[in-house]
Amino acid sequence: MAGNKGRGRAAYTFNIEAVGFSKGEKLPDVVLKPPPLFPDTDYKPVPLKTGEGEEYMLALKQELRETMKRMPYFIETPEERQDIERYSKRYMKVYKEEWIPAGPKPKKAKDAGKGTSLTNTADVLKKIEELEKRDDGEKSDEENEDKEGSKEKSKEGDDDDDDDAAEQEEYDEEEQEEENDYINSYFEDGDDFGADSDDNMDEATY
Amino acid sequence: MKDFPLYRFGVFSLALRLPSTMTQAEIKLCSLLLQEHFGEIVEKIGVHLIRTGSQPLRVIAHDTGTSLDQVKKALCVLIQHNLVSYQVHKRGVVEYEAQCSRVLRMLRYPRYIYTTKTLYSDTGELIVEELLLNGKLTMSAVVKKVADRLTETMEDGKTMDYAEVSNTFVRLADTHFVQRCPSVPTTENSDPGPPPPAPTLVINEKDMYLVPKLSLIGKGKRRRSSDEDAAGEPKAKRPKHTTDNKEPIPDDGIYWQANLDRFHQHFRDQAIVSAVANRMDQTSSEIVRTMLRMSEITTSSSAPFTQPLSSNEIFRSLPVGYNISKQVLDQYLTLLADDPLEFVGKSGDSGGGMYVINLHKALASLATATLESVVQERFGSRCARIFRLVLQKKHLEQKQVEDFAMIPAKEAKDMLYKMLSENFMSLQEIPKTPDHAPSRTFYLYTVNILSAARMLLHRCYKSIANLIERRQFETKENKRLLEKSQRVEAIIASMQATGAEEAQLQEIEEMITAPERQQLETLKRNVNKDGASLCCPG
Repeated sequence: MAGNKGRGRAAYTFNIEAVGFSKGEKLPDVVLKPPPLFPDTDYKPVPLKTGEGEEYMLALKQELRETMKRMPYFIETPEERQDIERYSKRYMKVYKEEWIPAGPKPKKAKDAGKGTSLTNTADVLKKIEELEKRDDGEKSDEENEDKEGSKEKSKEGDDDDDDDAAEQEEYDEEEQEEENDYINSYFEDGDDFGADSDDNMDEATY
Repeated sequence: MKDFPLYRFGVFSLALRLPSTMTQAEIKLCSLLLQEHFGEIVEKIGVHLIRTGSQPLRVIAHDTGTSLDQVKKALCVLIQHNLVSYQVHKRGVVEYEAQCSRVLRMLRYPRYIYTTKTLYSDTGELIVEELLLNGKLTMSAVVKKVADRLTETMEDGKTMDYAEVSNTFVRLADTHFVQRCPSVPTTENSDPGPPPPAPTLVINEKDMYLVPKLSLIGKGKRRRSSDEDAAGEPKAKRPKHTTDNKEPIPDDGIYWQANLDRFHQHFRDQAIVSAVANRMDQTSSEIVRTMLRMSEITTSSSAPFTQPLSSNEIFRSLPVGYNISKQVLDQYLTLLADDPLEFVGKSGDSGGGMYVINLHKALASLATATLESVVQERFGSRCARIFRLVLQKKHLEQKQVEDFAMIPAKEAKDMLYKMLSENFMSLQEIPKTPDHAPSRTFYLYTVNILSAARMLLHRCYKSIANLIERRQFETKENKRLLEKSQRVEAIIASMQATGAEEAQLQEIEEMITAPERQQLETLKRNVNKDGASLCCPG
């Protein structure tokens, strides 16, 4: 109550001179908005250090970035299955060694894993043979696509896969797939594809 | 210190022992680094561990919503690269903990590799590179990989011998640049109980740099060009594994890693030597370098000063080319010891004078000089004058600052507040009365070097994270253009190989229009700039 010097007159609770403003001086404007996001700087930054060493390290850095991506330690996120299996994707797969950390592996898990992968591929191979015997060319093509998809899934599921066996299978399968690219089943003996239309040639062709 | 370079921010992390808690900016930077090097799954697990501290396997899988399988894979990668450690707690629970500062060291990989190149040439460089890329490797694996890589670069018909690579490896181990990883202790099977859920790895101090007695005989192999010549072979067919890696490994179980602390020690020594060279002359810096070299193995990296060295010893250990007399050496040492910066101190008089290098003091001086330099470049030389003044006088009132610095009141006030708002300075309150009334309190400006340095380091990490993001953005924006230019380059290269005419080559080059070329140039410049600034810290 003793501090009320006069109605409506501004009185500071501290000595204004301590902060550096002389008495009665015009105070700076009140700031009504946050400071700009990218304020102008009076002093521009010093140029980057360049030299033989720095250039070498820069090149190294870029190389390392690329190399890291190809190492087995770079774990790719499994992509979602796309609607259409693109032909070119097969040829853009990067070859990566499968890395298994050194150390004793729990025997049980390994055997189970090995078992499932082999049974998977064994099953699938059996199916292929059966289908081929049935001379149903088009269906076997679709089977190939499905089998490829399921192979990828089973590969991701199994941690301690036996690489050589799996790769052997894939190698053989892909070779078989190569042969089936040009659906040569169209002109197999058993099919009526060409024969039928030729027989019923009542109408003229346009 | 005249012209002290601005970029020695690494000095701060050498001088400060930061606690393991990390700021948001540092976590963001770790996330970017892990993602670039190991992919998103490892990044998710790694960042989760950095944020939450040590956790067991199931909790990690549950909290991050990832399958147990993927978590295991990610943890394997992180442990292999020394980024995560594990510990068996009571009741047999194994918990995993992230080594936060180690993740940030990934920024320095190019510098480690380049340093080894300057010390041990290409062979050493590749050894350290392989160890950094793979985390841990056996000596035989390293030697084989490096020999193969070196053979690739040699002329046709020449190969790199394993023995030469082994020799370089031994030298690296002797100077502590590579060290053995802790391994499973070889206990006799007297323990009847079940094996623990996770092994506790141990390493004996004296075994850490012990190279196993291997007789590695062989030469590097060139990747056979016949593999590429097979025409019509689609790349999708994976080549079958060569069976020569089925031989028993002689040093199985003895893994090696790069010793990062030793590299940091080397950087510290480099910084001190160049500081002395800048301040005094070449000869003094050589003397200091000799003293540091003599203390390399005897002094631990966190010691405040080196073991005392006598002037006689230093004289004997000077490099062969330097033929200064004993008196001149003594004069130089006295000069160094008397210097106000106190890099070198005299600790006794026996043996012609015992001298030490004050490591902590030297680093603190370097940190301070860097701070001064930053203030000068950011705020101007008048601000720098005020900063140096407050550093010297420790605590000053505003009025005193104006008087001592001889700068008009308004400007001085403005500058002080600017530095205060950016946390280069802080205010110390000294109340005159117990009620802390503002009108009856002294407000003193002061510089707390440790906290200012920490603030600056944090700012650096934030800048690096921003730069990486910017680089990723630029690369993504221009992905189409980059791919096009790569394709054109590949076409030109293959056409040149098959001997095409100049006109044809010209035509292909014109596939990229002029504005596109301009865009590419800008992109390359920006990406390089980002990369270059990333190389600077540390």
